[in-house]
Amino acid sequence: MKISRLGTVGAIALVGGLVLAGCSSNTTPSDDTSSAAPGSATGLDAIDASLAGTITAGGSSAQANAETAWTTAFNSVAKGVTINYDKSQGSGGGRSNFISGAYDFAGSDAPLSADETKQAAATYPSGAVDLPIYLDGVAVAYNSSLGSSLNLTTATIAKIFSGKITDWSDPAITADNGGTALPAGKITVVVRSDSSGTAQNFTNFLNAADPADWSWKGSGTFPADITGTDAQKGGGAVASEIAKVRGSIGYLDHSALTDGVSAATVNGIEYSADAVAAALTDGATVTSNGVDGDLSITFDYSKITADTAAYPIPLLSYAIIPLEFKTPEQAKITVAYLRFIASEDGQKAAAKKAGSAPLPAEILDQVNDTLATVK
Amino acid sequence: MTATPAAAEHRAPRNAGGPVGLAANSTSKIGDRLFLGLSTGASWLILVILAGVAIFLIIKAAPAIGADWASNDALNQTVANTPGHANFWEYAGPLLFGTVWASFLALLMGAPVAVGIALFISHYAPRRIAGVLGYLVDLLAAVPSVVFGLWGLSVITGFLGPLNQFLGEYLGWIPLFGGSISAGGGTILAGAVVLAVMILPIVTSISREIFLQTPSLHEEAALALGATRWEMIRLAVLPYARSGVISAILLGLGRALGETMAIAMIVSPKLIVSFQLLTNDNPATIASNIANQFGGANDMQRDALIATGLLLFVVSFLVNFIARWIVSRTAPGVRRVRKARAA
Repeated sequence: MKISRLGTVGAIALVGGLVLAGCSSNTTPSDDTSSAAPGSATGLDAIDASLAGTITAGGSSAQANAETAWTTAFNSVAKGVTINYDKSQGSGGGRSNFISGAYDFAGSDAPLSADETKQAAATYPSGAVDLPIYLDGVAVAYNSSLGSSLNLTTATIAKIFSGKITDWSDPAITADNGGTALPAGKITVVVRSDSSGTAQNFTNFLNAADPADWSWKGSGTFPADITGTDAQKGGGAVASEIAKVRGSIGYLDHSALTDGVSAATVNGIEYSADAVAAALTDGATVTSNGVDGDLSITFDYSKITADTAAYPIPLLSYAIIPLEFKTPEQAKITVAYLRFIASEDGQKAAAKKAGSAPLPAEILDQVNDTLATVK
Repeated sequence: MTATPAAAEHRAPRNAGGPVGLAANSTSKIGDRLFLGLSTGASWLILVILAGVAIFLIIKAAPAIGADWASNDALNQTVANTPGHANFWEYAGPLLFGTVWASFLALLMGAPVAVGIALFISHYAPRRIAGVLGYLVDLLAAVPSVVFGLWGLSVITGFLGPLNQFLGEYLGWIPLFGGSISAGGGTILAGAVVLAVMILPIVTSISREIFLQTPSLHEEAALALGATRWEMIRLAVLPYARSGVISAILLGLGRALGETMAIAMIVSPKLIVSFQLLTNDNPATIASNIANQFGGANDMQRDALIATGLLLFVVSFLVNFIARWIVSRTAPGVRRVRKARAA
């Protein structure tokens, strides 16, 4: 595991150099306009190169690719900071390691529950806050042999995934596609067998947007009592299964789409970074866990679906941090890292490397306001 | 009883080593004592580790086993997002069934093949081929289970596809082949085929060793009576090796019970009891369920998963215990001593 220090530094410098080169050519115009005033530098320019230390974190595998992009970019400036993000833990493991005090921050697809907030307060007397840092969309993905375009409404999606609609020639699907019937064929629903942020956000959506057809609570695990579903371990396996099996449909991180897999439009809306950011702007309500500065977000899906420019199934992932770290030094480097993540540069780096959507500026401002209070 | 003279023989050389120089003797005594201490310590360490694992599992599992699942939202609802578990056993029962069922299917397919390979190596193959073949089978044991999983996922599931269709279409009236045939091929049949390959090396190598230990006098006697080679094997080799082969199969079962990655990657799991071989609704195994659910589980749910782990620990412990007991009851080793003395 442990690479020699010299090798690590060399690799980081090399990768960092490449990233810098890439960034500078792409982002120079926006840098010129947004950070014209020297005092209000954000993103890469704001990172203090003299920072040193180790950040220990882990949790959600959904944001792992983004964490890699952030770490690489952050290290290109602050070379003395080592960031270890362990994605093998999953969101639940990230939260429980954070609560026990082993992590400086946790990556999690769900905010701390009420119980967990209480437990966290025992470890961190000032409490812990959830900060949204990663945005993507859940794609309703289907085997491309069905056709180049497919539209599904919320109710149809809920019925397909709960096993109530089992054939592609079902009248509901025909109606969703402007009266054009698809060729008859069995629908194979492909789901994740392991727990995932994708399932968490997807089931949240179904539960809130169509409770009549979907009786299960939002959860990281797809309901195991829906029979007939083809359950695969990991997003990659789901993508390749959908590509392999004719007439299959499943849910995927939008960034995980591959050849042979197409994304359906949901209620006529195609996924795009702007569309999913619009969903956040329309339907996101901050429901604080009681700790000042907490930004746990609940979606009002009825507001999102009312907007014809908003993609209805956003995938949001959080960083969970304490308001007060054990040492000021640890607070300084962790906050610096999260500040970079919550900057325009940071969000762009993740969009480029991990295929995520940049969070809207007003959310990032709120994250930065909270970060300013962390000590 | 038979061990007593052997033990006396064993001690003899040590006494014979007595009249050496005094200094050499004392260092060898220190060396002896040091080595004795080290090896005793190592053997105790095994016990301590085993006890430690057992204690950890019991302490972590107790809250979930004892909890009232019906009123506990975390346990009742979200551990696999299936509501309605009244207690731990309702949750663990289907998992235990899945574990035993998958292993049983694997043994059904793997054990006869493994014993056949072992017999071929020990009694049929020319010496040179036997050596290479034995080496290859042992090599199979070195393949990591995640590689078996990838192989199963990308090759076996597709390979079994036409067979699944055929069985479902023409033999679907047999409950085993009933249900809605899996289009992707993530069936328990595919998982069991890969498991069967995974238990081949352990069953083969132990069986082979035992077949080779058959007293050659028995074999020659059978041949002298006019037996063909197969009759000789049936008369002399199989009766002699029966208990050893059974224990080899049970050790293979132990391996199959705990197999995680390959099953998690290949089989599409549900929390159900089902004997159907060809559908997407297969009973999950304990180990693959832990691998799938641990990441997203909160503290109470983790305890529940650890409790299922304890169950697996107990079951595989029992299986291994029975296997060892059968071996020790009629160990060929005992007869080997007899044979050596007779010779």
